[in-house]
Amino acid sequence: MSSQHPLPNTQQPSDVYGGDEVSALVLDAGYCHTRAGFAGEDVPKSVLPSFYGSLKTGDGDAATYRDIFGDECLIPRADFEVKNYMSRAESIVEDWDAATKMWEHVLIKRLQPEKPTPPSKNGLNDPVPDGEGDVAMDDVEDQEKPLAESPLLMTEAPWNTGKAREKVIEIAMESWGCPAFWLSRTPVLAAFAAGKASALVIDVGGANTSVTAIHDGMVLKRSIQKSPVGGLWLSGQIRSMWDNNDPKIDIVPSYMVENKTPVDAGAPAQAKLRKFPYEISQSFRTYEEERLVTEFKESVVEVWRGPGRYSNPGNEDIVRSQPGRVFEMPNGSNQMWREQRFRVSEGMWDETAALPAAESITKAQTIPELIKAAVNAVDVDLRPNLLGNIVITGGTSLLNGFGDRLNNELMAMYPGMKIKIHAPGLTTERRFSAWLGGSILASLGTFHQMWISRKEYEENGAGIVEKRCK
Amino acid sequence: MASHDVRDVLNLPHDGAARPAKKLKTNVPRPSLKGLAREVQNLGGDNPIAIVPEISSFKKRRFGSRKPAARWELRPFRNSARDDQSLHLRHWRKQTEDQARTQESQSGENGAEQESKSEQLDDSTFAKFNVQVDIPQYSDDQYNSNLISRYWTKDETDYLFGLVRDFDLRWPLIWDRYEYKPKPPEQARNGEGAGSMDPRTAVMPAGRPRSLEDLKSRYYEVAAKMMVVQKPVQYMTQPEFQLHEMMANFNPVAETQRKKFASDAMSRSREEAQEEELLLIEVRRILARQERLNQERRELYHRLDYPQTEQDISAFKSSAGLATLLQNLMNVDKTKKRKSLMEANGVNTPASAHPSDRLGHPNSTPISENRRESIAASSTGHRDSIGGSERPERPAKKGPQPAPKKLSEQEEHIYGVVHHDRLPSGPTFRYERINKILTTKSNAQHQRITNTLAELDIPSRLNMPTRAVVEEMEKLLASIGVLLDTRKLSDKLDAEIKLEKAKKAEREKTMAPAQTGKAAESAKVNGDAKKDGVNGTHSTNGDSTSAATAEKTNGDVPATNGSTNGETNGNSDTTANGDGAAPGDKGVRPGSSSNNRKRSVSVLSGISDKSSKRQKK
Repeated sequence: MSSQHPLPNTQQPSDVYGGDEVSALVLDAGYCHTRAGFAGEDVPKSVLPSFYGSLKTGDGDAATYRDIFGDECLIPRADFEVKNYMSRAESIVEDWDAATKMWEHVLIKRLQPEKPTPPSKNGLNDPVPDGEGDVAMDDVEDQEKPLAESPLLMTEAPWNTGKAREKVIEIAMESWGCPAFWLSRTPVLAAFAAGKASALVIDVGGANTSVTAIHDGMVLKRSIQKSPVGGLWLSGQIRSMWDNNDPKIDIVPSYMVENKTPVDAGAPAQAKLRKFPYEISQSFRTYEEERLVTEFKESVVEVWRGPGRYSNPGNEDIVRSQPGRVFEMPNGSNQMWREQRFRVSEGMWDETAALPAAESITKAQTIPELIKAAVNAVDVDLRPNLLGNIVITGGTSLLNGFGDRLNNELMAMYPGMKIKIHAPGLTTERRFSAWLGGSILASLGTFHQMWISRKEYEENGAGIVEKRCK
Repeated sequence: MASHDVRDVLNLPHDGAARPAKKLKTNVPRPSLKGLAREVQNLGGDNPIAIVPEISSFKKRRFGSRKPAARWELRPFRNSARDDQSLHLRHWRKQTEDQARTQESQSGENGAEQESKSEQLDDSTFAKFNVQVDIPQYSDDQYNSNLISRYWTKDETDYLFGLVRDFDLRWPLIWDRYEYKPKPPEQARNGEGAGSMDPRTAVMPAGRPRSLEDLKSRYYEVAAKMMVVQKPVQYMTQPEFQLHEMMANFNPVAETQRKKFASDAMSRSREEAQEEELLLIEVRRILARQERLNQERRELYHRLDYPQTEQDISAFKSSAGLATLLQNLMNVDKTKKRKSLMEANGVNTPASAHPSDRLGHPNSTPISENRRESIAASSTGHRDSIGGSERPERPAKKGPQPAPKKLSEQEEHIYGVVHHDRLPSGPTFRYERINKILTTKSNAQHQRITNTLAELDIPSRLNMPTRAVVEEMEKLLASIGVLLDTRKLSDKLDAEIKLEKAKKAEREKTMAPAQTGKAAESAKVNGDAKKDGVNGTHSTNGDSTSAATAEKTNGDVPATNGSTNGETNGNSDTTANGDGAAPGDKGVRPGSSSNNRKRSVSVLSGISDKSSKRQKK
């Protein structure tokens, strides 16, 4: 080892994977979670719920709101509302102020803790000019912009609007001072995370399910299919099931329970609820209920693996004969779930099996139909390749049996084709695959020529993002 | 005393399971020990001792050779592949020693040095991967002269080429993003480019949907034409020309058709797919079976394909011949060793199968049998006549050499068999024989002969010197010779007669006319007769020559006939040459012609004899 001299830069072998770290940041904003981290890492450093708290101080017209971010802040408080900066239907930023604050929180506070100002500049050592204790702050212009050293790669939904894209680059360049910026679409990055340049990406996320065909690292716009059949829709199904259960199940989130005593299955709960001296807002309660439902989804709900639909005769009997799963509510009531846990998820595949809920879906919104529509909107020559490179991503795709069912549905739909599904086993890879793809992309040596630099932005304006990030 | 000895003594059953496990352990390589430790280890025998002495030694730390930790720096670099060169990203790189030194020396000094440093930034090692696709370009003039199309405006073509450039010829993407919105006509008219815009094309139906094939065909059309504009077809290199041909011959219809088939194949139902799969398997099976069948058939043919023999096999065709063949084979079989029995069988089966095959048709008529024999004979005879000398016979394996068959005269004629009393040494050309006849003659005579031949319209050099033709030619030349001799004689006689007449006139002048009574009369009669005879010879001569030519031309046909298609039997042969020879002349052709010739010659000679007798008188 000691005999080796460092090679000159020209000879130095660039990394095996073609990587060249430039300490870029990657930000992946979704409806449920916002993920941020350093490029080149395999998991985002900070994952925050996209829900944020808004604290009201003052009354009536004089009321002022303070936004607080982070999971740890979302606790029962007085005058506290839980909001989301994104639109549920589109997964596109709605509230730009909140989005900017949220992203700043994620990128700056969480990833780049403030450096202590050097003693020469912090003003404490300056001679006191006029006897007052405080020293006037330097001009804002003189201050270094928070992200002046790191290029930023952000993700967007494939159906993102041109306006939103321009807004994003504006924020990154103007208020954060990024030296370079890039905007990439989530399915493309998910395909990159799976190591594919061409793929059919099935993203079953929180608010939406989308199917997108990717060719050579670019989205085929005509193939983009979107449907609300995602995690939140599934929560609606579960609520509907709980409402119609016998006995009816009340949703009592964890924060309301002070203590509980164990009860037999099916017996009424014996728990003491907490009393709050202030009113808990409905939005907070819904948010907390969603946590409970998510837990139920993660531990109980399963997808009928097929072949064929769950509603086919005989299938339910098979499920009944198999052991069920017990789920205990925060208030102690518990119940065995057998066939119901398959029934709630069946609506993703078969619109007739969907439980009556607030959001009813059409046939075209089921996952098989989305795939069919996406594939049909693509040139015939690409179809076999796409079906051989299917990438599943999104947290809701982690439902038990999802991959098997998808495979069965695809085999039934395209009997003659070779179908290969890429479904990472690691949950982080599924949940953060778009971020992961961004992390890979931003750390590639060949990507550095793509960045939209600050100068280019200044010369061309925000419209450059439409021209460059296709 | 080992444990199994104890077990033996105590008559205990052997623990079967425990033993092999121990045996296995012995296979494990033991740590190589030294000195006393090894002795101790050996005491254990098969059962290794648990106490293993271990010598623990520590690596010596090499404080002295350790280098100071490598310094890393956040070094800015540029990327020459970028359009905008102002972006300097920074990555961590190991500091080289001189850099570290300079940094130390100028630490905290002015930034002027820093400026110069940034001038010579390293280029990214990945810049070289930035490759661009070559997209043809055209000017307005070039567009107007070459590329105007009924279906495409220049504006839309520009748009297409822009997309092609943006997406580096990735056609699915180009088609996917193709959203051309034609400019409203007013705007086009107002604009700068209104002059170049054809008003007809300007009112195109708005934004017609383009299929991928439309886009491709337009692009290839333009690209091919621009290629030709830049470099005419005849100067293109091979790959360039191939590219040009490919682009110029792009067929959107076929492509659409193909895609339709592909989508049909994709949208098959499960049943159809299964059926197709089954059919495919069936086809594959049939093909495999066919292959096997072919293989077997080939093998069978191979077996049936007995070794080609040069010999005459007609000997084996009769039943007696077969019997001898079988006898021979059996003899060969017996003499062979047992070891090669299998092989011998393999060889013999086809041979034995062959006669049985022959015997399978016992009803074959003697005539056909005869013909087959004659064919065989002809082949051998023909070969002999061509080769001139006998080929070396293969060593006879199968049986005795068959005796040559006696041919009838007719057959000999058909197959062109000739018997020579004496053969000239070495091969000769037939036409040389003719030449020899001519060249042996004196020059004047040669000239005369050629003149005569020219008169008869016969070329002096034969076109097709078959044997029959040459024979005829020889005869012709002989008769020409006779003719010339006769003419010479007659000329001589004429001259003599003239002389005698002149003498006579002289004598009459001198002698009294009264004295010449009887003598003159008799002489006159004599002269007349002589004249008559000469005339007669002339006429007969002409007849004979014409007959000879007729003979010759006719003789040509059967001769070639005879040599080419030896199978034709005698009957057809005679009908073929029937018009030349006398109809009643059913004999062999050369014979008949020679008869004719003889007659004519004898006539000639007879006349000449007469004339010479008269002369003597």
